[in-house]
This record gives sequence, C-alpha cells and structure tokens, in this order.
Amino acid sequence: MSAPNPASSGLFINGQRETGQDVRVGNVTAALAVANIVKTSLGPVGLDKMLVDDIGDVLITNDGATILKSLEVEHPAARVLVDLAKLQDQEVGDGTTSVVIIASELLRRGNDLVKNGIHPTTIISGYRMALKAAVSYIKKEMVVNVSELGDEHLINAARTSMSSKIIGRETDFFSRLAVDAVKSVKMNATAADVAGYDAMGSGGHGGGERLAEEPTSASASAGGTTTGGGKKQRYKYPLSAIHILKAHGKSSMESNLIDGGFAINAMRAAQGMPTFVESSADGAHVKIAMLDMNLQRHRMGMGVQVIVKDPAEIENIKRREMDITKERIRKIIDTGARVVLTTKGVDDLCMKYFVEAGIICARRCNREDLKRLAKATGGRVVTTMADMEGNEAFDAECLGGCDSVREVRIGDGEMLYVYGCKGHGASTIVLRGANEYMLDEMDRALHDSLCVVKRMLESNTLVPGGGAAEAALSVYLDDYADTIETREQMVIQEYADALLVIPKTLAVNAAKDASELVARLRSVHAKGQHSQDPSDDGLKFMGLDLIEGTIRDNLAAGVVEPAISKIKSLRFATEAAITILRIDDRISLNK
Amino acid sequence: MASAGPPPGMGPIMVLNSKTQRTHGRQAQIANIAAARAVADIIRSTLGPRSMLKMLLDPMGGIVITNDGNCILREVDVSHPTAKSMIELSRAQDEEVGDGTTSVIILAGEMLINAEPFVRSNVHPTVIVRGYNYALQEALTICEKLATTVDIHDADRMKALVQSCIGTKFSSRWNDIMIDMALKAVITVARETPTMSGTSGCVNDVYSQKMEVDIKRYAKVEKIPGGEIADCAVLSGVMFNKDVTHSKMRRRIENPRILLLDSPLEYKKGESQTNVEITDEEDWNTLLKMEEEYVENMCMEIIAFKPDIVITEKGVSDLAQHYFAKANITAFRRLRKTDNNRVARATGATIVSRTDEIRESDIGTGCGLFEMRKIGEEYFAFFEECKDPKACTIILRGGSKDVLNEIERNLTDAMLVVRNVVFDPRLLPGGGATEMAVSVGLRKAGLKLEGVQQGPFLAVGEAMEVIPRTLSENCGVSVIRTVTQLRAKHAAACEEAEKERGEGAFPKCNWGIDGTTGKLVDMEEFGIWEPFSVKIQTIKTAVESACMILRIDDIVFGSKKKGY
Repeated sequence: MSAPNPASSGLFINGQRETGQDVRVGNVTAALAVANIVKTSLGPVGLDKMLVDDIGDVLITNDGATILKSLEVEHPAARVLVDLAKLQDQEVGDGTTSVVIIASELLRRGNDLVKNGIHPTTIISGYRMALKAAVSYIKKEMVVNVSELGDEHLINAARTSMSSKIIGRETDFFSRLAVDAVKSVKMNATAADVAGYDAMGSGGHGGGERLAEEPTSASASAGGTTTGGGKKQRYKYPLSAIHILKAHGKSSMESNLIDGGFAINAMRAAQGMPTFVESSADGAHVKIAMLDMNLQRHRMGMGVQVIVKDPAEIENIKRREMDITKERIRKIIDTGARVVLTTKGVDDLCMKYFVEAGIICARRCNREDLKRLAKATGGRVVTTMADMEGNEAFDAECLGGCDSVREVRIGDGEMLYVYGCKGHGASTIVLRGANEYMLDEMDRALHDSLCVVKRMLESNTLVPGGGAAEAALSVYLDDYADTIETREQMVIQEYADALLVIPKTLAVNAAKDASELVARLRSVHAKGQHSQDPSDDGLKFMGLDLIEGTIRDNLAAGVVEPAISKIKSLRFATEAAITILRIDDRISLNK
Repeated sequence: MASAGPPPGMGPIMVLNSKTQRTHGRQAQIANIAAARAVADIIRSTLGPRSMLKMLLDPMGGIVITNDGNCILREVDVSHPTAKSMIELSRAQDEEVGDGTTSVIILAGEMLINAEPFVRSNVHPTVIVRGYNYALQEALTICEKLATTVDIHDADRMKALVQSCIGTKFSSRWNDIMIDMALKAVITVARETPTMSGTSGCVNDVYSQKMEVDIKRYAKVEKIPGGEIADCAVLSGVMFNKDVTHSKMRRRIENPRILLLDSPLEYKKGESQTNVEITDEEDWNTLLKMEEEYVENMCMEIIAFKPDIVITEKGVSDLAQHYFAKANITAFRRLRKTDNNRVARATGATIVSRTDEIRESDIGTGCGLFEMRKIGEEYFAFFEECKDPKACTIILRGGSKDVLNEIERNLTDAMLVVRNVVFDPRLLPGGGATEMAVSVGLRKAGLKLEGVQQGPFLAVGEAMEVIPRTLSENCGVSVIRTVTQLRAKHAAACEEAEKERGEGAFPKCNWGIDGTTGKLVDMEEFGIWEPFSVKIQTIKTAVESACMILRIDDIVFGSKKKGY
C-alpha cells in the first residue's frame, strides 16, 4: 500500500489508490486490531486500560467507547468502529465494547467469505437477512416482558452492566444506588416531552428505516416502546436530572445518593453567613433564589460616558451605583429568599445585607448546575429583574423551595447541600473514592448503569445476558440458514457463528476453556429450541457463569440486559460491518 | 502494538497513531507493581518515631526538609502513571483526614507487592481483587471491634493521643508545648453547628456533623523567625502583622470597641465612567471640597459610634487618619480578608461595608486587650483575652524558616488529629498493634475461606504486617524477631479468647511496638492511640487503590488529550 503499484495507482492526481481485495483486507485487519484493543475489557472478569496522554495525564477505564475515543486511531476503517462505539454510547449508553467486538467478527468472517468467492453484495444481503431474523427472534422468544418491573429486575440489570467495571466489587451497593437515582427522577411524560426527549428512541427508529427490509412490526415496536406516549400514561426518566458530584477521599462505599436533594459545588460567599437554614416550624419552605446576574456595583456598559455639569452630581452617581445593587438585593430578600445563588459575582459590600438577614449566598456557581437546581426546586433562573414597564421587581414565583440547605465540608472543600427539593425529581449522587482517576471511572460506570436502568424502565423488557442471547441466536440462525435456498445460506451461517464471539470472549477473559464452554452452551440451546417438551423451555435462558466456569440459567441468576440495548447493538454492529464491507476502493489524497 | 500482523503481500497497516506506545498483559501489571513499590520505598524510612527526614531540592534550588509523606511525594516529580496515581492517594488522604499519608502509601505499595506472586502465577486479577475486597470488609469489622471510645474532654487522654501522632515528627523535643497548642487551638475553633430539628423531615446523612472545626480558616499559624520554640503560643484571640497607620494613635487599649470595614476610607470614583465638564472656576473648588467632605462624612459617621479601633481591608487616606487620630481612634488598613474574618469571629464584630449603615450591633466588644508589640524588627497587632474567641492565631517561633515550616506542618497534623477525634471519638491502638490484630484476624478468617480467593485474602493480612515491620526496621531492632513475637502475642490472645468465649470471639489485644526502643509494649498502658477515622481511611484507600491498579492490563502512552 505504501509502495505505489503503477497498475493500481493509475490516477492522474496526487494520491494513492487501493482497490479490491487489498483494501478489504486492510480494512478488516484494522477493524480487528481495534477490537483486539478492547476485547480484554469485556465481561465481569474484564480488565481495565490505563491511557496516558502527551502531558502525562492518566485515564483508567473499562468503557469501550472511552478507550477508543482516547486512542488516536488513524486508519479510516478503524475510525468507523470508533464512531460505532460512540454511537452506541449515545443511543444506549452501555454495551460499547460488545458492539465493537461483534462488528469486527462480522467483518472478519465477511472477508473470509469474499476470499471464498462470494460477492460482497451477497454477504451484505445475507447479513441483513440474518439481522432481521435475529431481531424478530429476540422479540418473539428471548424477551421477557416485565410489565410491572420489580426493583429486583432493575437492580439485576444495573448489576450486570456494572459488573465489568471498577465498581463491580460493590455491585449490590451501586446497583441499588443507580436504581434509586433513576426512580427518583421519574416524571410524567407529555407527548411533547416524548417527542423531544426521546431523540434516542427515534434515532433507533431512523436506524431501522435505513434497513430497507426491516419489517414494519420490528421498527414500530423498537421506536414504539418509547414514542407511543399518546396511548397511555408513560413516564420518562431524564438522566440529566441526576447530578453526579465527585469528591475524592473516603471509600467508594461511602458514596451516597441524596434522594430528592441536590448538591452544588459552591461555598458561602462570606463567613458570617449561617451554614444551615431549614424550613420554619409553620412549614414554610426554604426559598431559593437562583440568579444569573451580577450583584456587583452597578456600572455602565463599555463606552458609555456620563457627562455632568454640576460637580455635586458625581456624588449622586456614585451613591446611586451602590444603591441600585442594594435595592435589588433588598427586593430579593423581601420575597423571603433564604438562599441566594448566582452565577456571577457578588460585591463584598453587599455581603452585609445577606449576613444580617441570615441568608446563605453563594457566588460563581456553575450555570448548568443552577439550571438543574431550578428544575429540581421548582424555581426559575432569573437573568434580569427588569419588567416590561422598565421597573425592577423580583417575582416570588421564581423562587425554588426545599426543606433545608446546609454547607457541608467534604475533604478539603465545601459544598452546599439542598435537601428535600420541592420541584420535579432531582437527585445527586456524591461519589467518593481513593483518587481522581478512580472517581472518573466510577462516574463512567455509573452512567452506563443509569442508562441501562432507564432503558429498562422505559421499555419494560429484558433479555438474559452472559452470552445467553447470543448463543440462542446462533443456534436459531443456524437452523434458519438451512431453510434458505439461495447462496445467502452460507452467509447466515457465518453470521450465526460470528455471534458466538461474545460468549467466547467472555470465557477467554475469565481464563476458562472457551471452546468447551461454548460448545456446551450451544448444545443446551439447541436442545431447548428443538425440544417439544415445555419443561425445556427455560433452556433458552442458559448463559455462562464466568466465576464457576459452568453454564446456568442467567435469568434466574439475575444477569439481564434491556432487550432494546441488545437489539440496537446488533443492529449497529451489522450496519457498521456492512458499511466497511461495501468499500472496495480507497483513495487517499496528498494535500 | 501500533500495527496488526501484516497481511500477505502488504505493508503493516497502521491503525493507531505511530507515536503511541503500548504495554499490555502481565508486563503492564508487573510494571505497575514495580512503580508502586518504588514510590513506597521512597518514603518507607519516614514512618514511626525513629523516622528520618528527607531533604528535597527543587529545580529552583529551594530546599524542603520534611518527613511528611504527602509533602515528600508532592515534590517528587514522577513520570510513571501508576506512581502518579499512588501520589494522588496521599493527597486524598491528606485532604480527608490530614494524617497517615505515609502509612497509606506504604500499605498500598505492600498490597500490590503481595499481589505480585499471584499475578506471576496466573491468578486472574479479578480474583485477586475479589479476595482483597473481601479482606477489606473483614478488616473493617476487626477494627470496629478493636476500637475504644475516648472522652474528648479528658485532657490527659487527648494529650497522649496527639503525642502518638506527632511523636514521629521533628518537633518531638517540644512535644508538650505542641500538643497543648494543638488542643487549645482546636477547642477554641470548635463550634456547634445548628442541628436539624427533626420536624422538617430532613435527611440526616453522614455529612451532617454536629461540630464544625474549621482549622483552615480560623486557626491561623503565624511564623516569626527568631526566638525559641518554647516561645510558641496559642493566643486567645488573634494577631496580625500590621502597624497602626499613624504613629500618634494609641498602642494599648483595654476592652476596645472594634469596628471592621471592607470598604476604603478614601475618596473613590464610581464604577461608571463619568466625566465632569467644568466651566466655572468655582466648580473646581467645589469638586475638591466634595472629595474632602466625602471622607470627612465617612469619618464622622464612624466616630459617632465611638469605636477605639477601626480596621479596614482597603486603604485609609491621610485625611481620614487625621480625623481618627484626633478622635483617639486607632486605625489599621489593608488587612487581608481572611484576617478580617478571624478578627470578626474573635471579637464578635460584623464586617461593615458602608459607613452609613453601621449599627451598634456591628461593633465588636469581645476583645479584652489590644496591644501593639514589636517582635524583631516588625510590629504586630495583638487582640487578646477575648471572651469567647471562636478563632485564634498560633504564633510559632524558631531558629530558621525551614524549621518553622516543618513545625507548622507537624502542628497542622496534630490539629487535624484532634479534629478527627472531635468528629469521631473512637480510637485504635497505634504502634502497629491494630495492623497486627487485623493481620492475625484475617489469617484466622482466611483459613476458613474456600476457593481461589483464599490466597489474596491472606495476602492482605500479610500486607498489613508491613506497618509493624517498617516500624521495627526504622528503629533498628531485629525485624524478624520483633514481628514474630508480636504476631505470637496476638495469636495467643486470639486462642485464649476462643477458649474462654468460644468460637469467633475477638480479643482486645493492644500489643504493639514501641517505635523508639523497638520493644513490645501494651499500647493500652503505653498510651499510643490513633484516631479511628484515620486508620479506617488508610486501610480503605490502600486496598481500593491497589484493586484499581491491579485491574489494569493495558497501558497506552500518547493517547489524545482530555476534553477532545
């Protein structure tokens, strides 16, 4: 490829060209290399990667998308896989590693088929048929519908997702935390909300439509689980309302969820202020004013000059400058606010008013945090006090409410905790851990789990994990292939084999005998699918037990994943493999 | 691994940027363990009462002499990412509890070293991690059984406690003074925080402490070179390094009325850009006069409240000084905000920003004596004999700046120890006794454990012995003999307890090593205790970080920058 072959580089432009088998082999090799990087991080016994950047900053992670994002992948085909992981991260939030592994395996097998003289278009149509059959099989046979989801299932799903992560040792604790956090932000979804919020669902929908042969029923139920808001009452779980704060120190087990509370990384502006306010005995809530404006001495805008004739006026201007802010603060205090938070500065000379009124005031808060807090407490972030008439007023409507606010010392810093927010759901998870790297990784792991719990709650369906779904699909597709009379048959068989890469990798990472385990798994599933005996029905939930190195009923063992995430990852992986397989020419231009 | 194996007939396919380097698998794990061991080895000799100091030279030629683990590691410039993450541990420990920074590194290093044989013999890291974690839970229960509660008002016990903490440090010759100072400072600064009245249904989580001890803000350490260490003292009030603005002002006032300002006492233009067009000669005069009047007005407003001392964070004009001197008021200018806060808390004054808003309640009257003193060549303002000072200044005297810096670090450690005990008045025996008890306890529990985790579980127990081992190593006695004896003592106590109270009984065995002589002593009698929170934090951090590092099987150098 680097030595231009005169025959293949017959371009009259400054660049290089590769065609046919060369480029395909190159692409597939690159994809495999990428998959190899993340392969060892799959599964409950997967390990972490440490990434060190140019400056020497360290990142320790187990998350496939994060690993690939941080690597400087240069090969264009490999980049497709990196983007694939990113897409999976955005759409589903979990399963980024497995999607890359499946895609690369599909590519490898596709490439072998091409070598055996099968045209890529046949492979592509074969893959599509296999995908279609696989998706409908998952929906028909594998999916367990949990109409009234018990906490138990949610916790199991969260646990499965985080078992491979750094917090995998304390899954009981963290899965509980994740489920409680997601449940605490439950909201009634309006039609508009569903449309706007579930861009994820419709994204999957769009992905479905791209597949020409996608059966309408499949795509409707893929999107329908989330977009069918009009028919019955649905809930949404905006993860953005879950605020994750990281503070190093203590141990990871001391992380906690402030249910219905909010923590903001800010400290009191003056030491004279109280560290704690709570609702009065008569039940009035603590009112919080959230401002996005400067409470500093008023000053004219740049370039505005005041020209006065009478020297005495100067004194008045000065006085007025101070009074403007004073009046504003007075108005805020008069509405009964007990806590004032602003994104901008507060002049020292105004502190006294707050101190005297016993108000907690914090300046330079993060604007995003304030917006969330506003939502949580049912208030509004006020950007200006001016009204239509040109007067200034502070509307008491804008105030948020809560039970109490306290300044808390964490490690070496201070944070403001807001307890018992009165608005829509909001929760804060405060993560503690040995050091920053650990906290970052815990944050990523928790995010994945939160996504999984959310998906479960929204779609109400789950599939067994631990390679069970893949093994079942593999067996099913093998049988399905036999019913096909065209040359796609071979391709579908390969697709069926390719899916086994997940249980295989899981077993290899656990240092178990992969060939034997996978063979046993397949035979169990084959028995389950071919048997007429209803007592064998449960066999389709058999998956790997990686600690013991045996197979077991993973549904009973609580290793579960949201069905939608499995379907989507299959879809994404197949699409990506197809995209790369279609390429038969690569031209790189020299600038 | 920048390239995959070259397909036949083609060059290598570059997938990653060719600059990136990658180590993976066993190699990466072994390298990580080696890095952790290197970091632990640096500071191993600074543990215990017979510890040695380290002298660190920075690139600018400055020197630091210390045996504070965190301080040493902060200065050391390491390049290995794992070593960096170890150093972070020490920082987190320092911020969270302020003590045990050396032990945490040694312990974490030892945890990793003890994992090495398992890694080499192909035990899967997740198995090791699981075993470690199991052991951590077990160790914590053992610690809880071993803990005794102390009465924080028992001065003697508290003294002994602080003693064991800073006993290792340079200022051990002046122990008594240091300990008294630390105790006094913390008790001065401690303040009850308003507790939640149960009515509002608030969540009482781990963070709602009953006491607030803000050492950082309200216990200020002032270092004045010269004099001797015996001159160090904690003031029942505050002090700052400022002279009065005018030499005629009073330099000693009893029961002064103090007014604190954070606004300038001089003429200042407004924030907006204002221009004055003067057309008249008269106007010019009025303008000047106005400025004078403005200052005069402010001064008169202040004088009306008859303060004896006026302190501002900003400037004081000559004119204002004149008025104050005439009214027999002592004035200070350009005080730092933090100092002003301290004065406010010590004297009960409120910081005022506009002179027309002064109220009688803003004046501070809590101070018993104000005096200017000259130490060396500089003047210092002392506000002493405060009635209920909730802030204090600690004056440190000593030979040179380096000595003072070291004393300050020790004193800070001591204060943090006191603070931790005030928050959580539980104690664990020091001198390696806790570690040995945990080690013996883990061994006992580990033998009952089935499966592959047993090895790593026992390894944690062995790793805990590094503390008594290093202690005896540092004081120069026969390490093996001492540690074996100690282990035997604990094991015997265990058996005895089992005989008496049946299976699973846990003995309170407080035998440890006297770090000075290397002899075995009962910590109960010897009086060496450490705060529960520090010990627990140390063990937790050490095990968790060891687990994190063990889980890594791939190190990639030269990845993209963060935030991309």
